[in-house]
Parts: sequence; structure tokens; C-alpha cells
Amino acid sequence: MTVVDTPTSERDPVNPFKSTERGGKVDPIFRWVLRSSGVLVLAILALMVLRTTWAAWPVFASEGLDFFTGTLWSVGPSRSEVTGTYGAWPFIYGTLVSSALAIIIALPLAICTALYLTQLAPPRIARPGSYLVEMLASVPSIIFGLWGLLWFLPNVLRPVMNFLEDTLGQSFPPFSILFEGPVFGVSYFAAGVVLAIMILPIITAICREVFMLAPEGEKQAAYGLGATRWEVIRKVVLARSVPGVVGGTMLGLGRALGETVAVAMLIGASQRVGTSLLFPGDSMAAVIFNTFADGAPEAIWALFAIGVTLFFITMIVNILARLLVWRIGRITGDATV
Amino acid sequence: MPASHEDVFVIDDLSVRYSGRDALRNVSMVIPAGGITALIGPSGCGKSTLLRCLNRMNDLIRGCAVEGSLFYHGEDLYASDVDPVEVRRRIGMVFQRPNPFKDTIYSNVSFGPRLNGMKKGPELDEVVEKSLRRAVLWDEVKDQLTKNAFALSGGQQQRLCIARALATDPDVVLMDEPCSALDPIATMRIEDLMRELSTRYTIIVVTHNMQQAARVSDRTAFFSVSGGADDGGDPAGELVEFDETVTIFSNANDSRTEAYVTGRFG
Amino acid sequence: MTTTVTRTRRRARWAAPLLAVGLIAAACGGDDAGNGNGDDENGSSTPTVGGETQDLSGTLLGAGATFPTPLFLEWLGAYQEIEPEVDINYQSVGSGGGIEQFLSETVDFGSTERYLTDEEVEEAEEIRGCASIHIPVVFGSVTVAYNLPQIEGEELVLDAETTAAIFARDITNWNDPAIAALNPDLDLPDVDMIPVHRSDGSGTTYIFTRYLSDEVESWDDEYGFGSEINWAAGTVGGAGNEGVTAGVQQNPGGIGYVSFAYAVENDIPVASQINADGNAVAPTVETVAAAPAAIVDELPEDLRFDILNVGADAFPIVGTNWVLAWECGYDENTEELLKAFWTWAVTEGAPIAEDLVYAPLTGPVIDLALEQIDKINSQN
Ligand SMILES: Nc1ncnc2c1ncn2[C@@H]1O[C@H](COP(=O)(O)OP(=O)(O)O)[C@@H](O)[C@H]1O
Ligand SMILES: [Mg+2]
Repeated sequence: MTVVDTPTSERDPVNPFKSTERGGKVDPIFRWVLRSSGVLVLAILALMVLRTTWAAWPVFASEGLDFFTGTLWSVGPSRSEVTGTYGAWPFIYGTLVSSALAIIIALPLAICTALYLTQLAPPRIARPGSYLVEMLASVPSIIFGLWGLLWFLPNVLRPVMNFLEDTLGQSFPPFSILFEGPVFGVSYFAAGVVLAIMILPIITAICREVFMLAPEGEKQAAYGLGATRWEVIRKVVLARSVPGVVGGTMLGLGRALGETVAVAMLIGASQRVGTSLLFPGDSMAAVIFNTFADGAPEAIWALFAIGVTLFFITMIVNILARLLVWRIGRITGDATV
Repeated sequence: MPASHEDVFVIDDLSVRYSGRDALRNVSMVIPAGGITALIGPSGCGKSTLLRCLNRMNDLIRGCAVEGSLFYHGEDLYASDVDPVEVRRRIGMVFQRPNPFKDTIYSNVSFGPRLNGMKKGPELDEVVEKSLRRAVLWDEVKDQLTKNAFALSGGQQQRLCIARALATDPDVVLMDEPCSALDPIATMRIEDLMRELSTRYTIIVVTHNMQQAARVSDRTAFFSVSGGADDGGDPAGELVEFDETVTIFSNANDSRTEAYVTGRFG
Repeated sequence: MTTTVTRTRRRARWAAPLLAVGLIAAACGGDDAGNGNGDDENGSSTPTVGGETQDLSGTLLGAGATFPTPLFLEWLGAYQEIEPEVDINYQSVGSGGGIEQFLSETVDFGSTERYLTDEEVEEAEEIRGCASIHIPVVFGSVTVAYNLPQIEGEELVLDAETTAAIFARDITNWNDPAIAALNPDLDLPDVDMIPVHRSDGSGTTYIFTRYLSDEVESWDDEYGFGSEINWAAGTVGGAGNEGVTAGVQQNPGGIGYVSFAYAVENDIPVASQINADGNAVAPTVETVAAAPAAIVDELPEDLRFDILNVGADAFPIVGTNWVLAWECGYDENTEELLKAFWTWAVTEGAPIAEDLVYAPLTGPVIDLALEQIDKINSQN
């Protein structure tokens, strides 16, 4: 068609600002792609929640609030109605206890490791150390489960649990309750410790990033005023990192709450509630994983109901975390270091 | 060199190395009490390095080694039993960029005293007020002590940093190019403040602005880089000349100094 | 295949991809070695010579219990030597999954350790418009494995009462008088018992708890039976036979139930069990096979049965693995393949089963099974 195509031929000789291919068409397409992928993600999430809730509805309807507080989980064989009893508290409790234990153990360790890597370690240790942490964060959980069950539990955890039972378990409340025997091996405690090891790298990695961002100017200022290394860490590095650390903790907690395989292997799968940490219990993700394949339809509805519950618990935890960050932001905004 | 108690710092044959590379070589000078001492010279000649030696901030830099001797009121600052943290509590420092804590004005000023164990109360309030007054900031912020320091202007922030340094009751204040990030009006206010403070404190200020040195300082030390490849060594900063400011600017001993202050130098 | 859509079926179809993570137990018919027949690859028309099927070809798809998977794998392998053009895929998804896939008609046959409930039988009838068929194909037993180094190499005897009491946590120590009474020759140590059960729903649990419920009334009242029950507090779960075994072997004093085949394969000590005649019987292929043989006269028409209350020299904790099929709705070729393979499996496949410590069908049970196989597609 056109014989000669010079660059200027694209321009309208009359109106040099007339929209071109580049600005006029590509931009809207780009915007449209971004917007629709955003909408798509939300739509998928919403569909998932609705679909799962719908599948779980017969159980919610028949159990009511007892679904969350009941302690008896006894599945029925029916294909069309709810005949069993579905009290999910043992699983909810197990998930919360093992995850809480994991955070209680992992968070201080992660903070210390990250502080060491960012504030104290010489570069020749800090750099490989950081790589190592990031590598650990990507180890699949089945590895942790197998290692935990076959090596860590018998060789490390069992002696530790025996010791805890002999000492704290024989002392006074609440320890005498929390560490009451007998020691079975698999337990809330075993699951919690292995979960802690699993989420340690991710929390450490995030804390490391956050601590690295601690403002150098403020650190210098604190040192200049005669702060010790520890005071600088506490009053500048840590104080400035609270939102980031909370964020990292939430990520770890999210992983702990939803962790399936490793917990299924270590928590005990007993479908019961025990006050002792040494007691074999069960978790939400683990019971879904363990019994999904062989359940009658009504049992599967009940497992969906657990799934929905887990989803909402995770969401509530995230919202609480956000509120916490927001509160802390306000407090440090007008109080002391 | 006999140390007189009139002299705040007695520096003798001081050399500083970063990871084995000389940054400052064989500096000897005596800084008397009171007044303002300016350190000038082209960038990279080791002015900041020397300043950081004076309160042992260099200890925080990995690979930094200090040789020679440095006496503060007759005390060897680099003696093995000296705790650098204690040194920094006694010798205040103000940095190039205003670096207040992301916290309230009150918390910023009271940070040092609180580190030293002072509890919240009227005494602390008094220290905060006194420091802010000395930094000529009190009138501007007295009603907003609980406001975040980041809300202040750059010049105000720098004066807040000065107030914060004064709050630990030092007798020396080190300033490393305190005005280089500020506009001319804020700069003028800081300069006025420095003059005012110099009656009470010994002030040592690094500046690359010769007019500033000439305007505010009583004494000026001129540093330069020497010892290039032709000397068979690494280039490193050295002290060329240290004298009364008027002398340096009008009647310099060394031709390099004269060249620099008259702007005929690289 | 019909397109009737019911609520449960829709759900099942949606769940199927999730479940289909089991193994696919068929070698692809990679061997295309030319045979003179020139059959088309789909095998839509297969020559039948004088009533005897030869040179079959085509594909069967099955899913269900994990318990017989090792046996099915062997059977499929051996059968392919005979009929190289037949591909049989078996997905080991558990009995519940097998029933579900069978009822949603996504497979040609299901496999399960628990027979269909009346409700499921009715629903099946509605779905396909004809009856479902239970074909017993093999028996397996569940044995009580334990870890008590102090009595290594000696025979431990348990009865249903004691076994139930152990898993109900009424008996918590190995030196309990009830155990001692059954084992007068053993020097039982003072060691805490740690009962281990399956954490996943499983036919093994069904067989074990079915036995306890039948023999011990208090067990039936409190725990009942099923492929998944609400175990007593103070017991621990393990996933699969492996998980239970790990739980038992890691805990001195551990005790758990595992499939007999698994125990033999892994050389785990298992208890002898007292049967209805009061005889202490150790599990062997023979004593397990004796159990269904003992009740063959009492079996119901549809072959939905439990093996309970057996005496003489039969081991008392025995369960059946059924293949589920339909009386209608298969195309001719599929019907032919199903009949041929399962007939072969329950007759000529017996030695293979014995090698793997499964109890094959014997005597009159084989005839009953063949009658069931004959019903496949009979209502078409
Ligand atoms: N932290 C450090 N690590 C390594 N070298 C440094 C460091 N700080 C300064 N130096 C080097 O020391 C020399 C003097 O620097 P500095 O004291 O900052 O000079 P000035 O303040 O006069 O510009 C320069 O060559 C500089 O590169
Ligand atoms: Mg400098």
C-alpha cells in the first residue's frame, strides 16, 4: 500500500498531538489487563468461599454453633443427610495451640537470628547465613514432617518431653497441667515445635529485611548520644520494625495454621481435646487431609465446614494483626521510644 | 607533647586506616577549650574521619584502625580501659543530614538523659526545656512537644538534633557539615546558634563552605590529600595548617592553604 | 453414561480430581507388537470364539480401597502378560473414594472394604436404573501389632474384651491382670501402653472396629464401628499402616492394628487372637482363609456380609474386599473385560494373593463370587 514509510508519516500533519497507537490504544489495554486480573483473583476467592460454604451448609445447619464448640466428632455414613455428630472444637483447639506454640518458640528465635545477621555478624557470616535462611524457607513441609516424625521426635523431642514432664509437669499450675504426662511422642508439643522450625526461616527472612531497613541516620544518632549496641537495637532497630515483624509473624502464623502434612504426622490425630501440651490432639488441616479420601458424603460436608472455619480463623488472625500494627503505629507516634 | 588541661583535645601523630587503606596520616594538633574550630579541605581529605575519632564513632566502622594518640582533657581516649559508649555520652555529635528519631520532639531531646537513667518527671522536663532553649527552638515548639519530629522543617530538625546533643550536657559538640542539607536562611540560624553555643561549649565543625568557616570559626584547620602514586604510597589526608581563622584566610603560611581559601585550588 | 445430575453427584465429580492422586496402576499398552487380528485400537469389536474370550483389548478404569492395592498391582501385571491389549487403571483412593467414584459413574468398577449401606444401594439403583453388584475378590485380616522388647519372640494372646479395653484406655499397662490371665507363661513388664490407631479413614479400621463392636457390647455403645471412629482420649493416630507401625515401633509399649499383609512384609510381631470357640489363633494365610469358609452357608444373597463370630481354627478379625459393579449400562466390550478379568483374578489369581499374604477365595465362596460376576450387565 504505502510505498514510503517515514517515521513522521504516523503523525497527523494537522494535529501533532493526536493520539497515537502507543498512548491511545495500548494504555487502555494494559489498564484493562491489570484490572481484570485483580477482579479475577477476587472473584476466584469469593467463588471458593461460597462454593465451600455451600458444600458445608448441611453440617452448619444441623450442628449450629455446636459445630464450633462441640467436642465429639463422630462421622456418619449417609449420602443425603447429616446423621453423625460434628463438633470441631478438638481440631480448632489443636490448630490454635500448635500454631501459638510455634509462634512463641519461633518469633524470639527469628528476631535474634535476624538481629545477629543484620547488626552483629561480619559480612562473611551474614551473607551465607542469609542465603541459608532463605533456602530453608523453601524446604517442602513433607520433609519436615518425615524428618520430624522419624528422627527429630524420637531423638530430640521425646527426651525433651520426658524432661518437661518430670520437671514442670510435677511442679505447679499452670505448668503441671500443660506438661502433664504420659508422654506419647506425637502431641501438640511435637507439632508445635516442628511447626516452629518450619516457620522460623520465613519469619527470620522477613525480620532480616525489615531490620536492614532500620534508618541508618537514627542508628548513628543513637550511637552518637552514647547508646550501647543493645540500646540502639532496642530503641531504634526494633522500635522501627514492629509493623514489619508483625507482618512476618502473620505470614508464619498463616503457614502454621494451614500447615497440613507435617502436623498430620506429628500432632497425634486423636480427635480429642487435651489440656496438656504433651497430649496427642488433632488439627483442622490434618483431619481434612487424613479423612477426606475415605469419607462418606456427609463426612465430606463436615470437612468442608472445617475448611470454611479455618479460612475464617486465618482471616480473623490477619485482621487482628492489621489492627495491632495500626495501634502500635499510633502509640509510637505519640509516646516514648 | 605536654597536655594542658586548658586544651580539650591533644592529638599526636594520629593516623587512620580503613581496611588497611590510609585515610588520614600523621595528624598532630591541639584544640583548646571554647570557641569554634573549623575543619576545612577538599572532600575525601579525612575531615569526617578525624571528627569521628574525637568521640570514637569510628569504632562502629568495620575495618577502621586508629594509630597515634588522642587525649581529651588529659585522658587517653584510646586507652584500652576506655569505654567508647561513655566517650560518646560526654562528647555530642551533630550529623550532616538532620536525623531526628521518628518520635515526638520531647522523646528526641530526652533520649540521651533517659539513656543515662533519668526518669520521667519535672527534672527531665527541665532538661528538655533548657536544651531546646539553648538550641533556640523552644519558642517554636513549646506547644507541640508531643508532635512527631518528622513534622518539623529541615532547619528545625537540625536544631532539634543540636538540642538533643546538648541534653546530655557535653562540653564538646562535634558537627559534621551541619548546614550542607539546609537552605541559606536555616543555615544562617544554625550559624548564629553555633556562635551562641561557643561561649559555653567547645565546638568543632567540619565544613566545605569556606565562607562559613571564615564567618563563624575562631580557628581553622586546613586538610589536604597528598602522597599520590609519585610518592610510592596511597593518597591520604593530612593536616596542612592549623591556625587562627584570620591567619588562615588572610595570611596563610602554606601556599596550598592560600590556594584553597582563595579558590585557586582544584 | 447418563447425564442425570443430583446434588451429591455434582459434588462428587468436583471432588474427583482431588481424590485422583492415587497411583495409576497400569502400564500403558506400550507393546504394540503386531498380532494378526488387526483389531482397531479402540477394541470396539472383539471377536468371540466359541464362547471363550481370547485376545481381548480395551481399557478398564477402577478406583477404591488402598488395602488391596499391592495385590491388584500384581494381578494387573500378571493379567497383562496373558492379555497384552487390556489396560486396567486402578486408582488407590480409599474405600470411601471408591464408593463415591463408583456411584458417580466415573469408573467401571469400585473397590471397597465396607459394603454399601442400604441407602447407598437404593441410591445406586436410582442412579443407574439397575442394581449394583458386590463381588468379593479377596480377604484380608487385621492384626494387633505391638512393641514390647521384654517378650520378644514369644506369643502374645489377646481376646476381644482385652483388645477393646486397651483401645478404650481401660487397660493402660502391660502388666494388667487381664492380659496376664490370657498369657500365664509371659513375664509381662510394668510398661505403659500406647495404643495407636489409623488417623485416615480406612477399611482396616472398619474391619477392626466391626469385630470389636460385635464382640464387646460396651465398645459398641461407646465407640461403634466405621472406617473412622471417635477414638478414646489418650490414643494416638498414624496415617496409613506405615504411620501406625511408626507409632508402635517408636514407643516401647506401643500397640496398634495393621493389615496382616503389612505386618508380615515388615516383620512386625502380632498377637494371636482368641476366636469364638475360645481357641487362640495366630494369623496365617490359612487361618484367615478359614474365617469366610466357616460362614459360607450363612451368607446373604447380595453378598453384603461381615465375617464375625468365627470359631474352630479361624482367625477372627477378617474383612472382605469387594469389587463393585453394575447389572446394566456397560457396553459389550467393557462387560467382557470386567467378567474376564475378575473371573481370572478370583480363580487363577489365588496363588498370587497367597504370595502376598492375602487370603484368596476358596471352595464355595469362589462359586458365589462367579455368580455375582455373571450378573454384570445382565439387566441391559
Ligand atoms: N566507612 C568507610 N570505609 C572505608 N573508607 C572510608 C570510610 N569513610 C571514609 N572513608 C575513606 O576515607 C577517606 C576520608 O573520608 P572522609 O573522612 O569522609 O573525608 P571528608 O569528610 O573530608 O570528605 C576517603 O578516601 C574515604 O573514601
Ligand atoms: Mg565528610
